[in-house]
Amino acid sequence: MVGFMRKVAVCVVFPMLAAGLLTGCGISIPADPEGTLERVRDGHLRVGVSTNAPWAETRDGAEPAGIEPDLVRKFAATLPARIQWSEGGEQKLVDELKRGNLDIVLGGLTKDTPWAEKVAVTAPYAEATDEHGETHKHVMATPPGENAFLLELEKFLARQEVVQP
Amino acid sequence: MSIRFGRTELPERQARSLEKAVRCEWLTLGFLAVFIVTVFLVMGNSQAMKAAWIEDLLSLAPPIAFLFAVRIVNRPPTRRYPYGYHRSVGVAHLVAGVALFAMGAFLVVDSASGLFAAEHPSIGSVQLFGNTVWLGWLMMAVMALSIPLPIYLGRVKMSLAEELHDKVLYADADMNKADWMTAVGTIVGVAGIGVGLWWTDAAAALLIASSILRDGVKNMGAAITDLMDTRATTFDSSGPHPLVDRIDGHLRSLPWVLEAGSRVRDQGHVLHVESFIVPRDERVPSLESLEAARDACVGLDWKIQDIVLVPVAALPREVGDSTTGRRSERNR
Repeated sequence: MVGFMRKVAVCVVFPMLAAGLLTGCGISIPADPEGTLERVRDGHLRVGVSTNAPWAETRDGAEPAGIEPDLVRKFAATLPARIQWSEGGEQKLVDELKRGNLDIVLGGLTKDTPWAEKVAVTAPYAEATDEHGETHKHVMATPPGENAFLLELEKFLARQEVVQP
Repeated sequence: MSIRFGRTELPERQARSLEKAVRCEWLTLGFLAVFIVTVFLVMGNSQAMKAAWIEDLLSLAPPIAFLFAVRIVNRPPTRRYPYGYHRSVGVAHLVAGVALFAMGAFLVVDSASGLFAAEHPSIGSVQLFGNTVWLGWLMMAVMALSIPLPIYLGRVKMSLAEELHDKVLYADADMNKADWMTAVGTIVGVAGIGVGLWWTDAAAALLIASSILRDGVKNMGAAITDLMDTRATTFDSSGPHPLVDRIDGHLRSLPWVLEAGSRVRDQGHVLHVESFIVPRDERVPSLESLEAARDACVGLDWKIQDIVLVPVAALPREVGDSTTGRRSERNR
């Protein structure tokens, strides 16, 4: 057991330390494996919207409206980034998010959404009680494993006062 | 609770060791309870954290099995259980071994599939005193805090396991070692996610899982062979128990004994000994000389209480074979 773990130490810990030293100077923790945050800064933020009023609503010939699109517009301004909107059903948008073709998906998603298995969801930014009297914690979806981007969005959301609809 | 294993009164030294082992195991349970809750709170999406958490959950089994077994083993033999309750240690050992094995196998499959599917683990943030803190830092901190105590407990238990000839305690000391190494592996995995290497987490989880699986195979194998009445081994199952040769040596040194060989099985803590003796000139030994030989064997070590001496015309093959060399020397 000891000998085995010593091998593990040699095979994993030291290369990790070496990698840490090599990249250590310029890198911030956490980092994005696919570099999402780096890419959207001064670039395009690709946002998918699935209608779920009052959280998010697509409109013909106009930008999406609702609590979440408003928040994302403010977020994009902080980066700064220009937003490319797209719309569709949740299934399609989450697939595109997983493939890396979208950066954020909005649709009044909640903390216990089954999509959390496939993609990342933010920490809850608002709580709301539905017509059945159940309380839901609202989240947004981001690409899986893009942790620097996720953290940036969460930091922004934590500073926002969201009025319960 | 009087300090004994069934009918075996423990010598003072071992009695103190047993008390210390019981204290150690309660301390382990307390530590694990706190730790399991803490890890659950910061677990997030990390495969390695999940593996570490399940390992901690499983680490509860050996201490609980030990504390149960110590209580049961305390009972003296009865008409219904004429060999005493020592085997409860073997049963506890088997339970712990199977639990380790099953969980290790599950985790290997789980983390390997995550690795091959190239799942990128997402770790977000929590609000801590008004600040948004990346959960990865908390995971690494919790894991780092969990390292020192298992190292200490593992070492203490390992020496007590030898003293008490207790294989459950040995398995538990082994688990403690796996625990703190798991913590190191998890820190590496989460740190890897931190610098943007998505695969380190699943790779660390895979390593942790294979070490759980190895422990499981080892302990399950040892428990099964002991229940199959394999010859008695040392507490770490690394070789035959030296007492077997000492018993045979003592019996052979008696003037009325021509040849002797023993079947010794590990009952858990104590040994069950059946010694076959071929008397010189085919003369049946007197009751006094048999009693004296028995008492002398019991005097060799506290682990020998249950010993049966059988005068025979020729040694059974399975106890005679290993001494063939010595026998031919004696006949010369």
